[in-house]
Amino acid sequence: MSKRVLLHVGTPKTGTSHLQDVLFRNRRRLVLHGLHYPAHRFDAHFLAALDLMRLPWGGLEHEAVGAWDALAERVRRTPGTTIVSHEILAAASRSQAARAIESFGDIELHLVLSVRDLGRQIPAEWQENVKHRSVVSYARFLDMIRDPQRRGRIPSWFWSVQEIPDIIARWAPDLPPERVHLVTVPPSGSEADLLWRRFAEAFGLTGLDLDVGTERVNPSLGVPETALIRRINRSANQVVPPADYRPLVRELLAHQTLAQRTSSPRLALPPDIHDWVAELAQSWVAELRERGYAVVGDLDDLLVGPPAASYADPDKPRERQVSAAAVEAIRALLVENATLRRDRDRLEGELHDARSRVGLRGKVVNRLETSGAGRRALRLYRRARGSSSRSA
Amino acid sequence: MNDDDGRRRAWGWVAHLRSGGSTPWQVWRERGDAGADVASGRALPGAQQLELLRRLNETGRPSARLVDRVLEASAAGRGSPDLELVGAATESAFGPRPVDPARLPTGELLRVATALLAEDLAGVEPGAPPTARTRPWRRGVRVVGDPAAAQVAQRAQSARGVAVGHRSPVVVAGGPLRRLLADVWVDRCFAGGAPRWEPWLLGLEQRRRVPPRVDLARVADTWARRSGVERVTVELEPRPRGGEPERPSADAAELARRVAPVLGLMVTPARRARLLGDVLRPRLVRLPGGLDDGRDGLGVPEERDEWVTRRARRMAEALTRGDYAVAGDPHAVLPAELPGVAPTGSGALALAIRALGETGAATGKATGEADR
Repeated sequence: MSKRVLLHVGTPKTGTSHLQDVLFRNRRRLVLHGLHYPAHRFDAHFLAALDLMRLPWGGLEHEAVGAWDALAERVRRTPGTTIVSHEILAAASRSQAARAIESFGDIELHLVLSVRDLGRQIPAEWQENVKHRSVVSYARFLDMIRDPQRRGRIPSWFWSVQEIPDIIARWAPDLPPERVHLVTVPPSGSEADLLWRRFAEAFGLTGLDLDVGTERVNPSLGVPETALIRRINRSANQVVPPADYRPLVRELLAHQTLAQRTSSPRLALPPDIHDWVAELAQSWVAELRERGYAVVGDLDDLLVGPPAASYADPDKPRERQVSAAAVEAIRALLVENATLRRDRDRLEGELHDARSRVGLRGKVVNRLETSGAGRRALRLYRRARGSSSRSA
Repeated sequence: MNDDDGRRRAWGWVAHLRSGGSTPWQVWRERGDAGADVASGRALPGAQQLELLRRLNETGRPSARLVDRVLEASAAGRGSPDLELVGAATESAFGPRPVDPARLPTGELLRVATALLAEDLAGVEPGAPPTARTRPWRRGVRVVGDPAAAQVAQRAQSARGVAVGHRSPVVVAGGPLRRLLADVWVDRCFAGGAPRWEPWLLGLEQRRRVPPRVDLARVADTWARRSGVERVTVELEPRPRGGEPERPSADAAELARRVAPVLGLMVTPARRARLLGDVLRPRLVRLPGGLDDGRDGLGVPEERDEWVTRRARRMAEALTRGDYAVAGDPHAVLPAELPGVAPTGSGALALAIRALGETGAATGKATGEADR
């Protein structure tokens, strides 16, 4: 079999945006090494995943019509090794996964899953919910994900993209274990490029001269900043439509402004659920070890560390810290508003100039064109102007 | 019962459902009915798909093609992945717990049903609405305001070749504000996108506005500026042009609202609006429970009554002050005793099952058997 597909199906919050950005920016260079990342825009595989999973996504799904079939067609046409990557694929059901794999045709499939310990994934997923308009408190979120029935959208989504043994069971029930590759996210405090080196090893990129700059990352927020966004959601969700929320709240406030405040306390597991999470992580690690998958990194990276020495509760944040974050948010909005006002004034000026240039002439022409005599007069004028122009 | 027994029994249930059976899984399981060969498929269909098929069988005789489509369907949108049947195999330590399909939340079944309905719609070519050659001497009336009345009038005039132009008289169709709000939401559901009914109303209240197209006084002012005040009339008494609007029931609108985002993944927004409005809407209002027959229409919940009354009073005052003609009592916009209900997931599911059954029904016993 000559064709290989490295299918990276998750999980979220494991450095996937950076990986996809590097693959997209270097896609032409990768071809020289027999590696293909078939994408015409940086989020092409995201749109394909929405299409495959029939997942509405705040209006973006309109751009996803037919995207999976188009991607699969490119995979079938491409020789050598092709990489397909998006983290929301982790949520695919068995039937969707089977359809996806079948659509690639006759290939050697390798499933890649980048994974991070639950002690960091749980708060990160709650924060991601908040950055997508959620008003659910951290305590309520934790209650929901501990419900064994997983009732509701939040817990069913959380476990569908985070429960590693189940994701692999859905995607690769019959795949030999050596073709399932787990890339573990190193513990906090590891060397900055260690995760990238692991990705490079898993995808065969080691030693290639690639631009690995970090233009596209999904930065995290601290405790008071996340609490502030949640309060903004409570107040503004009904008056700010999703199309405006994304650039204003998620990008301008959360990513560009509040994520820069790195000295505030970080989100963590509350001490009272630490043991439950640690035991769950242990059971996953034991299962994954038993299944014998190819691991890049160390399965012990998935074990949950000791409880944090001091815990900052995002449901009861220190108000002074929230106020400080709010002031920075207001400053960012003022700067943005001032820029928009300048743009508006400039455009109004340009419009006014354009109107005054065409105004009088346009009115006369429109008036003349409403009658037969006027149209004849216009024709005569244009003929005369044309000859006079030529002589000039 | 060991694993193999459970799986055999589950495959036996699948075969039972395929042949038109509607015995619930728990009854089948407890009765110890016959099993089937475990190797008859790689994995059992999900509990959501199986339960939807069982409910389809309860209401009619789906064709073999529809049966296959249901069993192979992927649930659309966010929710649980395909769920296992309780008792079909040993519970895994991972993944969602197996379920009794009869106890699945309605939303899970709707995810499968709406995906199937959206697939059906995506394959339809909506016919053009009937139009006649425009006859310039037939001067029409521009009807704006209440979308239900406006749509009926526009279609009727276009079918008769009536021209509506810049100098046509403008009628702002009005009525009780409650009904206008319901008509706008229903129209949005069938146009391609709407939030849930109650949060939508809450959002309007928080933004302190009614939808611009049924803010009757503002609409009348706008057209008075555009076409001349002498051409504008606000009509507050029903004077249907082209017939009484057929209003879908609350559950029909809710079903369209849920189909819309799934259909949005299959066709362009413009085509989606035509499929929802010109294909799904007439299909649903023909079904039992799909038409607002005076009882099943959309009702404003009590919590919003005070706000609606306040806004309606302001609207009545503004209409009284306007320079344009008003046919009827401006206070007709105030809440009247209109019966109405809230849309429900269970009602939407029942309609979805009827709609699927209608389009995918076997044509007769002989055909049905042959199909299988």
